[in-house]
Amino acid sequence: MRGLAAMLGKEWLELARSWKWLWVPLVFILLGIMQPVSYYFLPQLLDAAGNLPEGAVISIPLPSGGEILAGTLEQYGIFGALIIALSFMGAVSQERNTGTGALILVKPVSPAAFVLSKWLAMAALVAASLAAGYAASWYYTVVLIGPVAVGNAMAGAALYALWLLVVGSSALMFSALWKSPAAAAFSALGTFAALALLTSLFPRQLAWSPGRLPAASRELLLEGAAGSLWPTVAVTALCVIGSVLIAVRAVRAHPAD
Amino acid sequence: MDFHWSDPKLWQIIGPVVVVQLILMVAALTALIKAEHTRGPKWVWAIVIVVVNIIGPVAFFLFGRRMDG
Repeated sequence: MRGLAAMLGKEWLELARSWKWLWVPLVFILLGIMQPVSYYFLPQLLDAAGNLPEGAVISIPLPSGGEILAGTLEQYGIFGALIIALSFMGAVSQERNTGTGALILVKPVSPAAFVLSKWLAMAALVAASLAAGYAASWYYTVVLIGPVAVGNAMAGAALYALWLLVVGSSALMFSALWKSPAAAAFSALGTFAALALLTSLFPRQLAWSPGRLPAASRELLLEGAAGSLWPTVAVTALCVIGSVLIAVRAVRAHPAD
Repeated sequence: MDFHWSDPKLWQIIGPVVVVQLILMVAALTALIKAEHTRGPKWVWAIVIVVVNIIGPVAFFLFGRRMDG
């Protein structure tokens, strides 16, 4: 794994130069805050929208803290995954296009270090953004809505962290396999959207699938239990490792255009 | 829970949301000014960033800059 430290420094700089260190966490924070705030103001919003006869009484059961956090995570599962996949769709292919990939790989840097540094940068960004956004959402939920079961809330977020990681890893893999960044983002998002859909259709047969992560997180936050999750977690971890290995092979076989 | 636009409690709640949105907008505008090449004219991006809430800055960060420039 020659050159990993130097490559990590490069990827860090890349994240800073592309402003990702700023805007991705900020968007996660906004998504996180909006969930509890919009629920809190729901009666006023409905009132302001008008159309209700005079004297109509709307009583909306205020959701529990866990429900709000589950909603926040759902937003991250959709919009967060979209942002992560779109930000890393060109991670490898762009370096091939511009020729920097070839320049780097003639230096004593192994393809494994090249891919792993990108993966670590992506994982750090995912973890930091999710943590910042979720903390903001949690704070607002406790202040405006109500208490939250700490253990379940943490576990629910950990499952989504894994979900975002597997989506990001596959975006990285497709960016090493295919020339077009758009095709890479589309493949990564399509794969996992299809997986989530299939898993919701066949929950028993596909209980081990990474597509179960979002639903399991929701169950954990709403009902406090989600059954055995180790097969899902193990298969997801294998998918992440597999994506990285395939990306390394693709870079080794095809370092430049 | 009855709010008016001058209610300080309302601003205590949504103040941080407004501040984060402003930071995002200013960051995107700064990146736009600094960028040497953008996809499409800069003034269009400036309008998009200022007018379209959240999605405008995000769209610029994702698609607006050319990495090779």
